[in-house]
Formats: sequence, C-alpha cells, structure tokens
Amino acid sequence: MASLKRSLDSDPFAANISSKVYVRSTKSGKVQKIVREVYLRQDIPCSSRLCQRCLSTAPRDAAGRATPFVLSETPAGTSVFPQGHYLVPDTNAFLTSMDLFEQSSAFYDVIVLQVVLEELRNRSLPLYNRLIGLTKSEDKRFYVFFNEFRLETHVARREGESVNDRNDRAVREAVAWYSQHLARTGAKKVPAVVMLSNDRDNLRKAKQEGIHACSLSEYVRQLKDGDTLLDMIPETEDQETIIKEKRPGDPLYPEYFSMSRMMTGVKNGLLHQGIFNVSPYNYLEGSIRVPGFPKPLLILGRENINRAIDGDLVVVEVLPKDQWKEPSTQVIEEDTITKNENPDAEETGDSVSEKERKALQEEVRRTHSKMTERHAQPTAKVVGVVKRNWRQYVGHIDQSSVSQSAQQGRKQDTVFVIPMDRKIPKIRLRTRQVAELIGKRILVTIDAWDRSSRHPIGHFVRSLGELETKAAETEALLLEYDVQYRPFPKTVLNCLPKEGHDWRVPESTDDPGWRDREDLRDLLICSIDPIGCQDIDDALHSRPLPNGNIEVGVHIADVSHFVKPNTAMDAEASIRGTTVYLVDKRIDMLPMLLGTDLCSLKPYVERYAFSVLWELTPDADVVNVRFTKSVIKSREAFSYEQAQLRVDDHSQQDDLTKSIRTLLALSRKLKQKRLDAGALSLSSPEVKVQMESETSDPIDVKTKELLDTMSLVEEFMLLANISVARKIYEAFPQTAILRRHGAPPKTNFDELTNQLRVKRGLDLSVESSRALADSLDACVDPNEPFFNTLVRIMATRCMMAAEYFCSGTQAYPEFRHYGLASEIYTHFTSPIRRYADLVAHRQLAAAIGYEAVDPSVRSRGRLEAVCRNINVRHRNAQLAGRASIAYYVGQALRGKATEEDGFVLKVFSNGFVVLVPRFGIESLIRLRDLADPEPAATYDAETYTLTTSGSREVTVELFQKVRVRVTDQKDETTGKRGVKMELVSVY
Amino acid sequence: MASSQHVLLSPAELAYLHASLSLTPPIRPDGRTPTQFRPLAAETGILPGANGSARICFADGTEAIVGVKAEVERTAQRAGEETIFTEGNLLGDEDEDVEDGEAKEGEDKRRGYSSWVEMTVEIPGLRDDDSGTAFLAAMLSEALLADGEFVKRLWINRRFHWKLYIDIILISPPLSYPLPLLSLTTHLALLSTRLPRLKSEGDEDPFFDDDWAAAPYLFPRTITAGAKSTAADPTASRPPITLLVMAVGNNIIFDPSKEELAVADVALAVSVTGTTSHAEDTVQAEGKVGRDLRLLSIRTIDPPSRLTPPGVANAANAAYGTANGAAAQQKMPEARTAETEVVEGVWRAPRGGAKRIVLGALVQKVLERGGVVDEVLDALEGVDLG
Repeated sequence: MASLKRSLDSDPFAANISSKVYVRSTKSGKVQKIVREVYLRQDIPCSSRLCQRCLSTAPRDAAGRATPFVLSETPAGTSVFPQGHYLVPDTNAFLTSMDLFEQSSAFYDVIVLQVVLEELRNRSLPLYNRLIGLTKSEDKRFYVFFNEFRLETHVARREGESVNDRNDRAVREAVAWYSQHLARTGAKKVPAVVMLSNDRDNLRKAKQEGIHACSLSEYVRQLKDGDTLLDMIPETEDQETIIKEKRPGDPLYPEYFSMSRMMTGVKNGLLHQGIFNVSPYNYLEGSIRVPGFPKPLLILGRENINRAIDGDLVVVEVLPKDQWKEPSTQVIEEDTITKNENPDAEETGDSVSEKERKALQEEVRRTHSKMTERHAQPTAKVVGVVKRNWRQYVGHIDQSSVSQSAQQGRKQDTVFVIPMDRKIPKIRLRTRQVAELIGKRILVTIDAWDRSSRHPIGHFVRSLGELETKAAETEALLLEYDVQYRPFPKTVLNCLPKEGHDWRVPESTDDPGWRDREDLRDLLICSIDPIGCQDIDDALHSRPLPNGNIEVGVHIADVSHFVKPNTAMDAEASIRGTTVYLVDKRIDMLPMLLGTDLCSLKPYVERYAFSVLWELTPDADVVNVRFTKSVIKSREAFSYEQAQLRVDDHSQQDDLTKSIRTLLALSRKLKQKRLDAGALSLSSPEVKVQMESETSDPIDVKTKELLDTMSLVEEFMLLANISVARKIYEAFPQTAILRRHGAPPKTNFDELTNQLRVKRGLDLSVESSRALADSLDACVDPNEPFFNTLVRIMATRCMMAAEYFCSGTQAYPEFRHYGLASEIYTHFTSPIRRYADLVAHRQLAAAIGYEAVDPSVRSRGRLEAVCRNINVRHRNAQLAGRASIAYYVGQALRGKATEEDGFVLKVFSNGFVVLVPRFGIESLIRLRDLADPEPAATYDAETYTLTTSGSREVTVELFQKVRVRVTDQKDETTGKRGVKMELVSVY
Repeated sequence: MASSQHVLLSPAELAYLHASLSLTPPIRPDGRTPTQFRPLAAETGILPGANGSARICFADGTEAIVGVKAEVERTAQRAGEETIFTEGNLLGDEDEDVEDGEAKEGEDKRRGYSSWVEMTVEIPGLRDDDSGTAFLAAMLSEALLADGEFVKRLWINRRFHWKLYIDIILISPPLSYPLPLLSLTTHLALLSTRLPRLKSEGDEDPFFDDDWAAAPYLFPRTITAGAKSTAADPTASRPPITLLVMAVGNNIIFDPSKEELAVADVALAVSVTGTTSHAEDTVQAEGKVGRDLRLLSIRTIDPPSRLTPPGVANAANAAYGTANGAAAQQKMPEARTAETEVVEGVWRAPRGGAKRIVLGALVQKVLERGGVVDEVLDALEGVDLG
C-alpha cells in the first residue's frame, strides 16, 4: 500500500496564491474556520516620488489616472540618517505613541504597512481611526503599503511561528524590500528606510538582517526637538527594565476575570455588566446601574473599584450581604487624602493607604451603628473591564508631587497629574519637562493601569497653556467635553453656495428654488430672540381670519435647502450634532455663512423658510395645521426685552404689535393647557455672565430674568414641534426622528421625598407628571419664596434625560415626553444649531411631498446611529456650557468677597453643600472650614441635621437658608481656582 | 448496491476464479498476496474551509472525499444530571475548577452522546435514502460510535460540545463495494481534523483562540514521551477503520477486488481501532510503536456470489423455490435434484452459512499484531497532514 500527496508546486500559479486561515467566533457563539485566499500582485507601488518604475506599473483608475505618489523625494533627515529617511513603525509604536505621529514637527514620510494597520484595527479602533485620518491628510505624507498583497513582501507563516513573530517578520521583510527597491531607483540620495519598534527582539533581529531599526526613544533623540517629544513616549516602553528593577511585590489589585468567564457569568445572571460611575463627592465610591436590578449597585473602596475608571464598561460581582453598606455620608476628596503621596515610591505595599483606611474605618463605624435602622445597600466589586472608556484628559501637575530636583534640569521625573474631571483618579506621568509644565493646563492620556501600581500610568500629549488663561481654559473645556472645535475643513466649505453673502432669494418665481414654495412675503412676520442673537432660527406671525379664528404661523429657517444629505457638510454637521454655546464663544454646527446669514431669518430680507401654519380658535384650540416650504420677509428682529416693551407700551397700535399681543394671549392659553395636562415646570439655576464689551472679561453675574415674550416663543415652538412630530410619525411610522423624555423611575425620588417629608412634612407624589407638578406646586414655604425653586431644582436632578430616538425603536406609549406631558414630540425649530431638527426638516419635506425621501432619513440603522451621536453631543454641549459659566462666574468673583444667601442642598457627616442662587453655584463647606481647630460634629442621618460642637456651634439642616461669604480661592497645591464659601450665619 | 452488482463473468470464469482462490496459497487475478492491498493515493487538507478533509483514490479508479466540519453546540441538560453547576465553577475557587475538569479520583467526567456526530454518505447515482447508502452510513458511524470513546473527544465542558458533521462523498461511480474506501478516507479526514484551541476554563461559555495554527488535532499525532498513556487515554487511540475481508474456502483474502468478491464464500466488514500499546516492553521488543487492536464490530456483507446470477431458470433457483413454498417443491421433484448436482467447472452459488472456524480465523487474522491492519494504519499515519 502506498500513498502519495499531490504537491501544490505543480500548480503554475501557486506562487501568486496564498491563503490566510483563522478562527472566527461570532457573537451567537459560532466558531468558524475562515480561509481567505490572497492573490499576490506585483503592481502595488512603493509610492515614493523617487521611483519611476512603480509609477509606470501602478494600477490606474477608470479614467486612466494613477493615484499620486505620497512619499517625498527629499524626506527629512536626522542626525543618524542625514540622507533622509522613511519611517516604518510597527503596531506597538502606533499603539503606544499615536500622539507622536500626530506631531507637526516631525514624523513625516511614514509607510504604514497593511499588516500593522490591520493589527491596529483589531487592537484599538479609535487609534485606527486616528491613523486613517493621518493617512488622509496630505501634508503628513503617510502611505499605506499593502505589503500582504505584494508578491515580494508577502510572508507565509512558518511552522510553529507565533502570529506576532510572523507579523514582525513581515514588517522587517517590507523594510528590507523597500531599502532594496529604493536603492535601485538610482537616486542620488537614497533615503534610509527605518523600522520603528519597541520590541527588543524585533530590533535585534533587524540588526542581524542588516536593516535600519530604532526604538522610539532612540529615534526621537535623533530629532531636533527630541526632548519635548520624548515625554510623549509612554511608560510602557521601559517596562522591561522597570519590571526588572521592581522587586516582585504583591500586586495591589485583584486580577481581572478572563473575558469568557465574565461573559458566561453575565449570561447566567451571576455577574452584572454596566457603566461604572464615580460619585462626584467621594472618589472611593462608585455606582453601577445594571439591567438586573432596579437600583444601582454600590462599589466602595479602591480594591473593589479595582482599577475601573469613570465611564468604563465593567463587570461586577455582588458582594455577600454582610458587606453591604449605605452610600457614604462623607465627602472624600482624592487631592486632600492622597495629597502628599510620593509618585516615585509606589510600592508601599497596600493599595489602600493609611489615610484612606482611616476614612474607611470611620465610614464602617457609622454604618454599623445604624445598620439596624436604615437598610444597607447592596455592594459589588469590579471583577473585570469589558471596555475601557479612556480618552485624553485635561489636567495639571500636582505641585506637591514634584521633587525639588526636578524643578531644574531635564532629568526624567515622575509626577502626578490631577485631571480636571474630579471623577478621574490621579495619573502618574513621567516627564522631562516638569519645570515647563508646572502651572499649565496639559493634555494627558492613560496608557495602562497595572495590578502593581496604585495609580494609572499616562503620558503627556501637549500643553494647552497657562492655567486660568481664557484660551487654555476654553480649550480645556472643549477637549473635556469632546466638542469638535477645529475650523470647518475645505470640503465642507466647498458645499456652501458659490454666491457667498451675496446669495439672494431668486427674484423670478419661475426659478427652481421657488418650486412648491408659498409666497408669504406679505405676512407681518417678526422674530423674537435673545439679545445679540445672530443665528435666527424662527420667526412668527399671526393674523385674524374672517371666521373669527386666528392664523398663526411659525417659520423656521430652511436649512435643509442648503444642507443636502450625503454631502461633506451634512456629514460634518451630523458629527458635531449641535452648536455649543460658551460664555464668550460659540462653536457652530454649520459654517458661519449659513448659520448667521443665508439661513438666519434676518429682518428686512427675503429668506427661504419652512412654515407651520395653524388655524387656532380664540381659545387656542387647533382647528387645522398645514406645513409648507415658503419664502418670507421678516419685518423686525426683536430681542425679548424689546418685544416685551413694545407689547407693554399701549401707545403702540400698529399691526405688528397687535399680532404679537394676539400671540401672547394665545401662548398663555396654550401654556395653561399644557400645565393642565401635567407639564412640569422645572428649574435649574441659570445665570448669565456679563462681560465688559471690549476685553470681554467677566464683570458681573446675573440670574436670568423670565419675560412673557420668552414663554410666547417657547409655547409656539412647542406647538410646532408637536405638530411636526405627529406629521412625520404618520408619514414614517418606523423611521421618524422623535424626542422622548422617559418617566423617571419612582426610586429616583425616594431620597427627595423622604427629605421633604422629614424636613417640611411635605408630600411629593410621583405617580404621574401631573401629580408631581401639583405636588411641586404645593411645595412652598410662605417665608421663603425660593424654597419652591429649590425643590424644583432638586426634582429636576432626579429626572431622566430626554433623548432623541427613531420611532421604530420604541412602542408608541414610550414616545411620551414626561416633562412636557406630550404624547409625541420632536425638535424642528432650531435646524441651524441642532442636527436633529435638520433631519426632522428633511422628513417633513418628504412627508408633504416636497421632495423625495432620501435614503439617509429612511434607514433605521443610520437614524439610530445619528440619534446616539446627537444624544451624546447634546449632553456634552450642555455640560460644556455649564462648565463655561462656572468658570466665568469664578473669574467674575475673582478678588471680590461678597456675602450672599444660600441654601443647603445636601448634608454629609463632615460637611454640607450650599447653593447660592444668585451665582448659580454650589460649593461644599467642610467641617474644617467652619473653624480651626475642626469642630466635632454629630450627624443625624434621619433628620439630615449636622450639629457641631466645640470650637464652633452651629446646626445645619437640609433646605436651610444660610448666609455665606463667597470668595475665590486658589488652591496652592492644585493650582486650581475655585469658589470658596464660608458660613457666616445660619438663619 | 455495489455489493450486489453483478460482474459480467461466465459461470466457467467464476468457477475458475473460485478454484484459483481456493488454492494454497491462493492465486489472485492481479497477483497480489492474500494480505496485500492495492496501491492507493491519499492526501489530506483538500478542503481548506473544513476542519479536516481527505481524499483517497484506489487503483481501481474509485475515489472518495470526506470533509469534517465542527460546530459548537450547547449540550442539552438531561434529567438526573446535576444542573446547577455553574455557580461553583464560575465563582468558586480555582482549584475546584481544576478538580472538576480533570479526572477526579481517576474518573473521566467527560461524557459524549452519539447525536454529536452526524454522518452522511453520498454515492453517485443513488438516492440518499437508498437502503445501501443508509447501510453504509450506519456501518461507518457504528464503528465510530461503538465504544463511546470517540464522542468523548467532542466534549468541551459540561455545557458545550462540538457537533461533528462528517460528509462522505464517493466521487467516482461505485465500481466496487466502496466500504473500505469510505472508511479509510473518513479515518484520514478525522486524523487531519483540528478543532480551535479552547481558551476558557471550566464550564464557561467556550472561548477559542483565533489562531488556526494553534488548533490542536482531534487525534493528536505525537504521543509525548513519558506521559502515562492508559487505554482510556484519548491521545493514544486512533479513529476506527472498517476493512472488507473475505474468505474462499479456508483462504482469507484482504481488500478483495470486485471479481474476487463475486466468488466469496463469506465477506465480512470488520471495524477495528488501534490503541497505542501502553506496555513499554512490547514497544522495545518489536522495535516500533506497538498497537493494541480492538475489534469494534463485525458485519457480514452479502457477497454477489450468494445471489442468483442472471439467466438461471426459476426452476433451478433455490431462492425462488423457497419463496414459492413447499407446494412448488412438491410438484417439481426433478428440479430439486437438478439443483444439487455439482458440475465441475461451472460456477454455482455457495449455499449454507460460513463455517465458524473460518470466521474465527478471519477475525484472528485481522487482529493480528503487526498484521494487515497495522500496516494500513501505519500507511495512513504516514500521510502528510499539511
């Protein structure tokens, strides 16, 4: 019996065919063997402008053009490679130091190998996207070389070779090929092809094979501004040496579970998965909302938090009942407790420092004493991280962590960076430029958090500028809230009308722009907006009808006429999602030309609009509604104040004023109807910063006034939004873009209800929005008019966030907008500053048959993606706006000390939070701020009362009105300016 | 079916064949020794997308390919088994896991069910529910499942197992009885079968290494020296093979050709499995890896010799006669006498069962150490699993 095997060599094309085999595990648990055939070719160009040969064979597109070559013929040189060089980084170089490659001072002419790109995509999608961005930018000259498809550089995996070794070999092979290939071009100065890698083994092998190779730090040292760049090479590079130096101490944190173990546990309901949130008051306390339980689980202490950082998707395990605790009543701030930690001396043994432990003990004692009276909450510990949500963090160097020697000289030193976001732990940073960076806002990223390190390790990205300078702080805010603030790219600007500011509504009504548009230019339309508003979205009119009813029109800027789907501008707007308003700055969603001119419904000029026209009875009942694209001419652009004056001035009897009065009367009726239906009037402390007009430095802070005319505009916008929502839902039951506000779970109000009952004997009923609205109305303190607002502010914080959604994803009853007590709602009235409105415009236009439905507004998948993005953007924009106000309030108070009335919002066992409505700020007053030495205190959690004794005797209760002195204070250790409140007296 | 296909040989030719095969030693038409196999060509890995595959081409032109595909499947919980096990294993101590996974007190926790293997046989020109095809599939899977050791290999953990789909296709016309071909091809395909490497532990949802090169063979090739290999040790055993053996007179002939089968007195399908011997001394004594052969199943095959050849009058046909009952026999006594007459040089279908002693010798011969089966297994082992 004999056997023989047919050899593949007999196939004449065998050399050109290769295959790639791997195992794919699908989400549903299937495991498949995947075989991909690879057809090797020889016409993939090297893309160096030096090379003529590749140019002649490079594949051409349908028009016969070859893609222009990327790599420069005269690349920059370094001290070691004076002849110029091309870089070939390996995957790790990108993984650890993407920031380096984004530098504008160096890192040009980079060859990104396909094998590296693919590996990077598997390891980190965000980094992959950044690299793709780099390859698209023309000036950085990054070229993706498909080494796996080129015959000469294709590398077949050897017997017993690991994937990583094979990929490393592929990189070396490609470098070697490039060197040979370039040498044959016959250029006078042949650039060196340099492999960048931090893998020692790889570097060694490269040396053996005689190809140029450097580690990242070696390479950066060769550059002119090497020292500054050196900091951006992350810690991990030296890891090997560090590990050797470190004595093998016990790891500080428990090990994570394996991914499969976590997934099985989650599937079986034994483990729980959710987003980890850190308490803003106590950095050692986190909570996690999991689908399994109605209430969030508590995660207490460093060890249980186990290296999770706010926003990470983690898996937790519920702890046994004897470890259940109450949420902390104490304020624990990281900077105070770990203030004097030495960043170099890391290995002091335990992850819980002595001070932390003391704070925890007190905690335990307190909970134990009350364990019987109040029920403890279930606690959990983190057993693994499914997905890190690390981003770049803005922070500043903790001065106390800087050793004296580091102040001078360029020795590498380890310091702590305190992130601006309190919920992010301190980050350990190694840098050579401590002296320069102290007192600056800096951007850092987290690289890793080992089990053996108490704090995460990060590296420096760039400096934003001096602390407390407007530019640095504004940029910090924008970065922190992920607001896209770079100028619009050229591709977007190309989408604008060519006429620029000279664009006019065409005169001839035969123009295609007039197609299906109603001519509403004779209507007495006006707009009412805040002072200085440039992007006027909406305008209104009203006129009596012969039958005694009233015609009311809301006219919205016709943005969808200018921003067509599937253009660069549309893509950019959908990414930005919303315009962000800071105190002194506006980051537009759409380019200025559209936002403040062509779309904006400016007075006295003709503009395209999208109009909603109702026939209302004098009792403000809707008789009918219709929607039309139109051309309008606004008669006047009022500010709220001007409009109010005009309405109040009875000498004004012109038609325009009369029409505003009619609108005002109708709006009151509409509002009453809404309130009757159970709409909530909620509250948040809103203030306005007044700026000096020239220097735009903040000089004063004012709370916002409420005018009737504001509510006028608001009511009609609500009405328009509701009418449009009905229409688009009717036309597109599956894909209408709507906005919902979920009813808050009852448990959200537990705390507040209890507080109100204990402190004021008031009852908050939360069965429905109507019941809540009524009981909120009843929450009044005859002596304290602000009390009602205070309760409303606190109630607002218990609510869910409203969100955009696609109608197919929810059942109709879930559409309800809780706050507005409307069955269905959308955003339609501000297309200049919100992307959702723009989508609603397109859908409405399709619903009334004005234009064909674009696939993008019909595809549920795409709409869901759009909704997800704009929900996030919307929230970030709000947060950025608030943070901006907070910063300016702080600046306005700078150097001033004022006494103000405030209210106690929250009581802890070692402090309390006071809200000062005049400035819209809240701040913590700790026991030790009350007097020196720190007074002793007893905290009664049942009655929310804190009674101090000893050096100062006061009793502080929840909701209490207090007098506080507000000053600004710069914390010398943290370099942070914050509002500081001192308790003057208790009313 | 192939086994009943008639060879177009005259009674005289058949008689001659029978006579020459009955000689000692027998003379086979193609000059082989009784235990010699016809040359065959074999290769593995011909289907890149399958977990394992093989192709074997016999010298008579018959050719088969086999593909083995594996899928992860959830093991149905059976009544009476402990069902709440996840808690302990998932959240309990690590060492407890280990104890559960490994043989606790020498007991093999792995358990398999025959439903984990699905085998289909396709013979060109025949319906897949043809009785012959079904019989072939039954014989092949019977051999695989007989001792229950094979399905244990498919055990992942107590909640999951591999489901194996074995697709056997004869790609040439069935020129001879294809059982040995299909069996050898299946054997080779199973030898080349690899399953993705398991990364998860215990009873977790399985999680696999995405590197195909790291995937272990279902039947690992090399037996690590020094590792104790017991009979139950899965690394030592090999997939079964089913051989066709026939006897003519007292001669036992392996790998019969179609013509030889036409004059067989007995034809048996014998399934054996080879387990590497655990006795060290035997290995040394024989100078190569000793193998324990275990008999898994024996089935008799109806050789065409037992069928009435065409052109025999009903009167002379014993089978016809019996079918028509005693009445017919009574009427035609002369026909009975005519039938019993044996004419030298004219083929008559053998009558009566196989002799016990021949059957015994046949099995003995198959299980002989260093015999034909060993040779076949070695040859298959020698095929490069690229």
